[in-house]
Amino acid sequence: NPIYDKKATTTSQLKISCLNIYRGPCTGKTEIYMLCDKVQKDDIEIIFRRGSWKASGEFAQTDVHRQIAIVFKTPPYQDQDIVEEVEVSVALRRLSDQMESEPVSFTYLPYNPDPYEVNRK
Amino acid sequence: NPIYDSKSPNASNLKISRMDKTCGSVLGGDEIFLLCDKVQKDDIEIRFYEEDEEGGWEAFGDFSPTDVHKQYAIVFKTPPYHSAEIERPVTVFLQLKRKKAGDSSDPKQFTYIPQVQDKEEVLRKKQK
Repeated sequence: NPIYDKKATTTSQLKISCLNIYRGPCTGKTEIYMLCDKVQKDDIEIIFRRGSWKASGEFAQTDVHRQIAIVFKTPPYQDQDIVEEVEVSVALRRLSDQMESEPVSFTYLPYNPDPYEVNRK
Repeated sequence: NPIYDSKSPNASNLKISRMDKTCGSVLGGDEIFLLCDKVQKDDIEIRFYEEDEEGGWEAFGDFSPTDVHKQYAIVFKTPPYHSAEIERPVTVFLQLKRKKAGDSSDPKQFTYIPQVQDKEEVLRKKQK
């Protein structure tokens, strides 16, 4: 049986220190580096939220670097047709006890694949 | 006199795991998130360098000890390249280097991009 050091990371306060990028397209898939306090790579998720909408950042356990950084991809926003910037909150959440960190803000930007409306014409 | 734990962090090999960017402006100043193996915040530097027959070039990433996050990540700004007047992208190397022991990590590549200073383009826009 493996022995886990549960002391520090299963009950400790979760904390996001910073992100390398705070804005990205509403289509998601923006790669973000998050620096944080210690997390367990198999017991952590990144939650994006606004109102009743909720989605998770995408990463593998190998994207958790030494418990203190996570490289993940943003989820797509619920609405792909936004015409203005939309601010959402991002928080770390521990799977085992559902504890969450204080949130930080992330801004989704409108995505316009056809700026001159050529396809519509 | 400070007492350093010379056993673990100094004995281990330096290693750059990942960087969020591998290219930036020839003028420097680009912020980079670098994930690495264990480092001491007051005994580490990020050396950019180029080797050639005439001695080469070196410059150092700009950060303070507080930019070293929990010994495993560094947020720093790139140094300017020695010449701002490049016409094509120039690829150099960077490595982690301990100040005291002088040992260093395997290098990663970094590419300096020329300044976007297309005078004709600027003129054309001004005429509109």
